[in-house]
Amino acid sequence: MGKGGKSHEETKSGEDENMAAWLVGLNTLKIQPFKLPPLGPHDARVRMKAVGICGSDVHYLKTMRCADFVVKEPMVIGHECAGIIEEVGSEVKNLVPGDRVALEPGISCWRCDLCKDGRYNLCPEMKFFATPPVHGSLAHQVVHPADLCFKLPDNVSLEEGAMCEPLSVGVHACRRANIGPETNVLVMGAGPIGLVTMMAVRAFGAPRIVIVDVDDNRLSVAKNLGADGIVKVSTDMQDVAEEVERICKAMGGGVDVSFDCAGFNKTMSTALSATRAGGKVCLVGMGHHEMTVPLTPAATREVDVIGIFRYRNTWPLCIEFLRSGKIDVKPLITHRFGFSQKEVEEAFETSAGGGSAIKVMFNL
Amino acid sequence: MVIGHECAGIIEETGSEVKDLVPGDRVALEPGISCWRCDLCKEGRYNLCPDMKFFGLPPFHGSLARQIVHPAYLCFKLPDNVSLEEGALCEPLSVAVHACRRGNISPETNVLVMGAGPIGLVTLLAARAFGAPRIVNVDVDGNRLSVAKELGADGVVQVSTNMQDIPKEVETICNVMGAKVDVSFDCAGLSKTMSTALSVTRAGGKVCLVGLGHNEMTVPLTPAAAREVDVIGVFRYKNTWPLCIELLRSGKIDVKPLITHRFGFSQKEIEEAFETSAGGGNAIKVMFNL
Repeated sequence: MGKGGKSHEETKSGEDENMAAWLVGLNTLKIQPFKLPPLGPHDARVRMKAVGICGSDVHYLKTMRCADFVVKEPMVIGHECAGIIEEVGSEVKNLVPGDRVALEPGISCWRCDLCKDGRYNLCPEMKFFATPPVHGSLAHQVVHPADLCFKLPDNVSLEEGAMCEPLSVGVHACRRANIGPETNVLVMGAGPIGLVTMMAVRAFGAPRIVIVDVDDNRLSVAKNLGADGIVKVSTDMQDVAEEVERICKAMGGGVDVSFDCAGFNKTMSTALSATRAGGKVCLVGMGHHEMTVPLTPAATREVDVIGIFRYRNTWPLCIEFLRSGKIDVKPLITHRFGFSQKEVEEAFETSAGGGSAIKVMFNL
Repeated sequence: MVIGHECAGIIEETGSEVKDLVPGDRVALEPGISCWRCDLCKEGRYNLCPDMKFFGLPPFHGSLARQIVHPAYLCFKLPDNVSLEEGALCEPLSVAVHACRRGNISPETNVLVMGAGPIGLVTLLAARAFGAPRIVNVDVDGNRLSVAKELGADGVVQVSTNMQDIPKEVETICNVMGAKVDVSFDCAGLSKTMSTALSVTRAGGKVCLVGLGHNEMTVPLTPAAAREVDVIGVFRYKNTWPLCIELLRSGKIDVKPLITHRFGFSQKEIEEAFETSAGGGNAIKVMFNL
């Protein structure tokens, strides 16, 4: 269990103590005991096997906050995860010990108007792995509602199960934007989110996908993963007009939907300008709080700006895409680490470093 | 270029293929002639036609004239109880009706209208006609807000032009609404009004940008997107005349109070009319009677 065997201790009763990766302070992660809550009748206890690192996890490590969420007390990190069922509560009928499952992180209240309307991703009382003050899932075990544990088919690995979380963001964005065989799509950004968005867009049937980025290497990866066209862009606002021209040439037609997976003035401005009248721009990336963008010219062409926040009801579809091979996320996993103090620190540095690192995955 | 595009008149003559209109018919005119060949037209989104020929949009002549020639299918017959002035008001009212459709206004949507100028006021009237249970208008001008109140706003809030005041104004708006804001219409189109609308609208709601204020705007777009508040663009209208005419016929909407000034068609009066309109203040809709 874990490299070096020092990652857990035996308690007096002989049971292994549950250990987790805690964010204890700025830039400081420590593997420490993590006491599990009691198992409720609708819960499952899951032994974690695969946990991916998200940009938000890195952001919490480096700044102790993300938007309005502030880490005030030590918090277990991590939320992109999959594992094996160890035990289920008395009311759980659809899962048994031994089942391999991918976990949807967020527990909604199911009492508010948004939840009852089905838009549970917007629940104001959402308890989400590793969004303070809720503990995350980079641990040996977690307890989680069974209805948020989705069984994986035999041909879908636990690592792919963990990838369902970022993939879900792409899938939710495709649904909100109504991607189909008639939508030519522009993706701004070829980082992890741009790439899963591109994959989801293809799976939803988009005929042409053009992806842009400032980084040549990321663009090659995107091309290898199936982009119809790639365009290298700059960070200079002056270049918007010229880039819009190159994008339209690469697309060979109008841009029906743009996904801004970076979330900057430059990327939003480019997307708003490049998208055809009556089209949509989805703001997926969380770059800056305030943005200065040409909103009025877009509005006068009825280019709508669609907001994307996490996902809802996406695990079954993600799992089906992976099962059928319509989507292959395995190439996105570029680095793997075990669960030890040293490796946890190294893994986060690798993820934070960007470069050739797309998805950094823990194997527990 | 001939100016003017909000108009109604009487049919003098029709072409050989025109079947549904005869001389003497009182009609309201939809200004824009689309191409009907491009993808957008064929999809029904003809208001976005790149080859649109629109009254008073250069180089196309407008309709402030004794007579004009126009496609008959863009001339809509007015019922006996709808005046020609009300017919002319179908044009600004159409902007509001189109915005209400794009915003999906219904008996379940509490509505915030930024601005109590002519467009803010027709938006108030249209939102009510679409069934909105609560409508709050905001403006910097107390007089315009009194007009909004008289025209049926459930609440009015006086706001400033100062970006710092947004959090306080958001709180006041919510208190006055007494409920969550489902849809906001920004009928001014400035960074301040958009920022306020984006902040005050509930998660999962919509902000419709109707007003054409500034080209570039600095707004808190990310926090709005992170609550899935969508920004819906509104450009003119499509297929709105029949509905506007029906709303006027039934009395569900009364636009007559919006006509504050009337002028005849002479050199002197034209100049005075435009000065009155440009002056704002208590001028809402300035109407020519020809």
